[in-house]
Amino acid sequence: MDFYAFVEGPLTWVAILTFLIGIVVRGILYYNASKKTDKMIHKYFSWKWVFSTYAKWLLPNNVTFKKQPLYYLTVYLFHICIVMLPVFAYQHIVMWEMSRFGWSWISLPAGLAKWMTLAVVFIGLFLIGRRAIHPDLKLLTKSSDYLLLALTILPFLTGYLAAHATLGTTGFLAENMQLFHMLSGQLMLILIPFTKLSHAVLFFFSRGATAVEFGRRGYSM
Amino acid sequence: MSDKADPQTMADFFKPRLNARFKTWLKICANCALCADTCHFYLANDRKPEMIPAYKVRFINEILKGKVTIDDDYLKKMYETVYYECNMCRRCALYCPFGIDIGLMVGLQRAMLHNVADIQPAGLKSAIESYKQFGNQMSLTQEDWVDTIEWTLEEMEDYYPTLDIPIDKENVDLLYTVNAREPKFYPQDIQEAAIIFNAVGESWTVPSVDGWDDTNLAMFCGDLGTSKMLVEKTFKQAEKLKAKRVAITE
Repeated sequence: MDFYAFVEGPLTWVAILTFLIGIVVRGILYYNASKKTDKMIHKYFSWKWVFSTYAKWLLPNNVTFKKQPLYYLTVYLFHICIVMLPVFAYQHIVMWEMSRFGWSWISLPAGLAKWMTLAVVFIGLFLIGRRAIHPDLKLLTKSSDYLLLALTILPFLTGYLAAHATLGTTGFLAENMQLFHMLSGQLMLILIPFTKLSHAVLFFFSRGATAVEFGRRGYSM
Repeated sequence: MSDKADPQTMADFFKPRLNARFKTWLKICANCALCADTCHFYLANDRKPEMIPAYKVRFINEILKGKVTIDDDYLKKMYETVYYECNMCRRCALYCPFGIDIGLMVGLQRAMLHNVADIQPAGLKSAIESYKQFGNQMSLTQEDWVDTIEWTLEEMEDYYPTLDIPIDKENVDLLYTVNAREPKFYPQDIQEAAIIFNAVGESWTVPSVDGWDDTNLAMFCGDLGTSKMLVEKTFKQAEKLKAKRVAITE
């Protein structure tokens, strides 16, 4: 098996399974620790507060959106594209159709997918630039913040370059772009459960817990 | 710096107290600075970056990782941050996309300073000593308290002949508790509450013994032992007098 086949086959499965099992385990670990150490949250738990906070924060319908609408919508778009593209890009669905599962589902129109990919890259670069310039962010930012942002952009950048053959068809970079795309995507999937990117799942627990804490005092966040 | 205050003891204080939420928050905070202009300390200090709420909980991670030198200067900086740059109002929590509650974690840092390094504002320290010795923050004796109620009432006789401040009356709706500053400095506050309660015909009483001071300053520096003792004293009186509810002063 050559390296390309290895990355396309077994490594892809390792990455997807690490991601899926990883986020489930993260959730279970949080829940178990929370049962022991956050008894108040469980005592006053109510889906009412939890769902209402999800509805406000998974949609642009909250206090921070009202305070900083432009920034909020930018970052909102960034997240939507990151979640949608890997699942609904037709090039990915084709791979699932050809796999042993033969699964298929609706895909994003190619033109839209292209703009969404560019959005991730440019918003990502904007967020990196903002961290480097804004005095508040400069103070808070650690090198890992830059690294994770760069690693988040990478699969989308390489995906764009591979899909549109922007760099032409010859040369080391152009010839291996698909390989770089798969490797960067796999790296990101594997990193999600172990780094700050775990907010993909911990967001729901953290928001839920705080919503219960404020909700029992009658304030719906 | 006291002998107790070595970095390992500090880390050991934090570890069991970092609940699932705190651990998650310290891990996932995206350093996005959206909390910055929700903070009145940030806004009142010309948007000084050091006043960003997310920046005020850095001490926990730093102490746990053990990569910083923890000396008097470090603890002084921490003390100033957690007492004079945050009053734990929790407004930033309302604006954080993750719902990270910085106020609670500032509270934990205050608790560490008080319990491990014995660092706290002088006023809180003396209030705690008073709570432990007298059961209230103003070092009043039980006689002082009952006397104050009695002369307060006498003083009002001419204006409100029917006025009453029932002491230790059983089976009432409200057990009324006050700030210890009231009997000490502002007895008119007690008079005014009494006037209102009498005017509306409220069924109420004040306890004659410990439990009448409803302030809990020990809570502000994380002295949970004293804090618990104070609440228990009040509830003990409520149970003894079979009061339906406990009311606290304004």
